[in-house]
Amino acid sequence: MAKLYDGRTTIFSPEGRLYQVEYAMQAIENAGTCLGVLAQDGIVLAAEKRNTNKLLDEVAHSEKIYRLNETTACSVAGITSDANVLTNYLREAAQRYVLTYQEPMPVEQLVCSLCDLKQLYTQRGGKRPFGVSLLYMGWDKHYGFQLYQSDPSGNYGGWKATCIGNNHSAAVSMLKQDYKEECDLNEALALAVKVMSKTLDATKMAPDRVEISTLTREKEKDKVKIRVLSEAEVKHLIGEYEKQQEKEKKEKEKERERKEREKKAAQAKK
Amino acid sequence: MSALEYNGSAIVAMMGHECVAIASDKRLGRQAQTLSCDFQKIFQMSDRLFLGLPGLGTDVETVSNRLRFRLNLYKLRENREMKPRTFLNMVSSFLYSHRFGPYFVEPIVAGLEPTTSEPFIASMDLIGCPMITSDFVVGGTASEQLYGMCETLWRPDLEPDDLFEIIAQSLLNAQDRDALSGWGGVVYIVEKDKVTIRHLKARMD
Repeated sequence: MAKLYDGRTTIFSPEGRLYQVEYAMQAIENAGTCLGVLAQDGIVLAAEKRNTNKLLDEVAHSEKIYRLNETTACSVAGITSDANVLTNYLREAAQRYVLTYQEPMPVEQLVCSLCDLKQLYTQRGGKRPFGVSLLYMGWDKHYGFQLYQSDPSGNYGGWKATCIGNNHSAAVSMLKQDYKEECDLNEALALAVKVMSKTLDATKMAPDRVEISTLTREKEKDKVKIRVLSEAEVKHLIGEYEKQQEKEKKEKEKERERKEREKKAAQAKK
Repeated sequence: MSALEYNGSAIVAMMGHECVAIASDKRLGRQAQTLSCDFQKIFQMSDRLFLGLPGLGTDVETVSNRLRFRLNLYKLRENREMKPRTFLNMVSSFLYSHRFGPYFVEPIVAGLEPTTSEPFIASMDLIGCPMITSDFVVGGTASEQLYGMCETLWRPDLEPDDLFEIIAQSLLNAQDRDALSGWGGVVYIVEKDKVTIRHLKARMD
């Protein structure tokens, strides 16, 4: 029944749904995971790399994390070619703002401008929506550190921690449990690594399968720093996480043994 | 009254040994009347790339902003610094695109190559005709005076400190002979590992 109504993007279904938009969101369900965590002194964006083919020529820049301007970066999940068009649009929009106002574009305004474009493709033109969800991290003098998420419908929201792409609902529920608002950047990094490893396809997390970038600000110089972590740094973080896992596993074992002994002792008494 | 001589300026760039220097005056005037003595005419476009803009004040600001727009997008897409020669060509085609309604600026490009740190200086007319030299380039209302000073004082392979003295003296003495430029001076010495900015004490007339 639904097939009768999803031929054109600009049409509602009888139940009042926009099927093309929903199908676009479906395209992202299978894309590489991206998660973002907001800390008191910075923001972390972690993304799963899908192009790990050895034959691929080494590229200087990152695969999933894009710098938009001096103070904002984003990571994408979905159709890569659509993502390239959108990041290009974002970069140009940010530069047009600087040209007019001689100051960096506030993060929310940048997100908003792209979302207005995405919405346009759900209402006019007869063209399909963009099959991309984005996570934005940025700093501006109005609201400080901010993390936003936008999806193909053109909707966006500000988040403290969120996830898009493959296994995102599992990741979001994990973040909901473990996220602490007063965390600093290092704690945010540790949390990102922890959640990432649980949501990745493979059983073990490796430095070449994940890209992590951070956004921080040097107050004295009034300069925002956007950095993609090196392989060595990612390896170190994974190592720390695995050590933590081992520790927790051993403690659980001890607990279990202790409970067994208590049970046996109780039974013996009887 | 020419648009290029309305506000007044004196800009010079010189080649040194593994360094470049670019200097300008700071006057902004309305023909004979002086309006400001801290008007910026040299813009740092990138880590080691500088653009000096003599000419009409409003075009100085607009051209530097529009070029910064293009340069920023280039840097984001290419993920590398723009080479000075490439920047020169970009400025040149930008100015020519306004061939029949030009921006009244005659830019000076000075910088070091991103990878090799080789020094580079060049200048252009208002419709983008480029000129790359290996000694010095001058621009502004005091250009004739600057040509004289530079020709006399400059010599090849100057070290950064000597280059500073030479370029500062060239600028100061040339702008003192020109009514429309002066009221202070600023010198940028661009080396591989650092950029030094020095403000000159000049005749404030």
